[in-house]
Amino acid sequence: MERWALLSGLCGDLDLYEQIQSDLKKKQGVAHLFVLGDMVSPDRDCNALLSRLRQPKRGDLQPNCIYGWWEEQLLAEYGYRGDQKPEFLEGDHDPATFANLRAAVSQEHLNWLASLQFGLVELDCGLIHGSSADVGDCLLEITSPLILLDRLTRLDVNRLFTARSGRQFRLQLTGGQIHSKVLDPAGEAAQEHTVPKRSVIGIGSGVNYTLYDPASDHIEFLSAIGGSGTSKLGFG
Amino acid sequence: MAHAVISCLHANLAAFEAVLDDIDQQGITTVTCLGDLVGYGPQPNEVVELVRARAIPTCQGCWDEDIIDGLNSCECSYPSQLAERRGHQAHHWTASRLTGDNKAFLAELPFTLRKDKLLFVHGSPNSQHEYLLPDMNAFAALERVETAGAETLFCGHTHQPYVRELSGGSIRVSVQQKGGQPSDEQEMTLPMRRIVNAGSVGEPRHGNTKATYVIHDDRTAEVSIREVDYDVAKTCRAILEAGLPEVFAWRLSHGFEYAERAEDASHVCER
Repeated sequence: MERWALLSGLCGDLDLYEQIQSDLKKKQGVAHLFVLGDMVSPDRDCNALLSRLRQPKRGDLQPNCIYGWWEEQLLAEYGYRGDQKPEFLEGDHDPATFANLRAAVSQEHLNWLASLQFGLVELDCGLIHGSSADVGDCLLEITSPLILLDRLTRLDVNRLFTARSGRQFRLQLTGGQIHSKVLDPAGEAAQEHTVPKRSVIGIGSGVNYTLYDPASDHIEFLSAIGGSGTSKLGFG
Repeated sequence: MAHAVISCLHANLAAFEAVLDDIDQQGITTVTCLGDLVGYGPQPNEVVELVRARAIPTCQGCWDEDIIDGLNSCECSYPSQLAERRGHQAHHWTASRLTGDNKAFLAELPFTLRKDKLLFVHGSPNSQHEYLLPDMNAFAALERVETAGAETLFCGHTHQPYVRELSGGSIRVSVQQKGGQPSDEQEMTLPMRRIVNAGSVGEPRHGNTKATYVIHDDRTAEVSIREVDYDVAKTCRAILEAGLPEVFAWRLSHGFEYAERAEDASHVCER
């Protein structure tokens, strides 16, 4: 079966994107490219990358993009999210951050960014920047398995690919159970529930990306050859 | 000490008075309310004023929020367009009759109340609109209680009273990182937690017409579900006289498990 490439956190870096496209051409059987958000950032001019994602060059793997945390902040500031204000205005961020973000993204790209989806479900896999709970939800290999199972259950998927943490990992839920007893006016009922075999996969960010083979469930964590090493975690 | 937890009064004064009488007869003086004082029923001001007069600690329900902030849930709240239209009609009727004082009271209600390891919410700790149904995925249900830092979670919103105990849980995991092999299995033991749904005083949906609420004893941790008879016909007449949709009276008088509940009750409204 055709393999998937999953990446995130390009942060406006067209050179890095071209490097990854070049690397993918050398890999056999990679047919689908998913870009899980954070295409933009306040750190550099993002317009060239956005133009390329919207209008791929001949020979590029066609990118399937969803929005990430930085896109959410940008769209909130421009009023695309109703009353919602950018989160980072309430955090510890430098006040200049948003001015830089506005300067980094031309308004001609806003409608396209606003048209992107929160996530995708392909086969039995959920592909999301953060998680099924929130675009800013940061899932790690040390996150409580109970929370990871909840995020999988909300989407009813067997595998959840996430980018927000910037880390590359695969956490497999391999077993477990819980006893549930319900008392209501009709009486009492007890049930034993088992943990389904499911996984949460951190795909990495920037130079670090992931290949996935849905047929074999095989995961390969990679780094772009000659990557600039400027990979950033997904935190804003 | 025993305390009573009530929810989803829905402007049904006769049901609320009957439940308060039942609580008083048992000598219980502490009552907590999980919201939805208004909506569907014909006596919103009377019910809010009785809650205020009795100084009952109350958290805000989805109807209380919507009356203040405007309709704020997505279409997920209703199973059909007809149901949505009826819901909006009840919303506008209620908003037009509530006094400014009573609206101000609803606006200031907190989302949650907490007493030690007991947490009181309307829907779930995530949202006033989320339904914690008794057959919800057990691990997801436990996550709601555990993430909120509670041992027992009291909720309403479903109009179906129940006590759910989640125990003996564990999850095994294996982690693989870049360049490595999957680790040996690790096991996480899950704590025992409970969800107590108080049902509904003013619009029961558990299969009969009786108002429901729960009594919790914080010394023994015992919970009992109470069902209380009230003058259903009186409230039905008031619904019709108020010009509210007849189906609201029909529903109350039959006690059907039939309501304006989302078809996908596990959906979490994102608005």
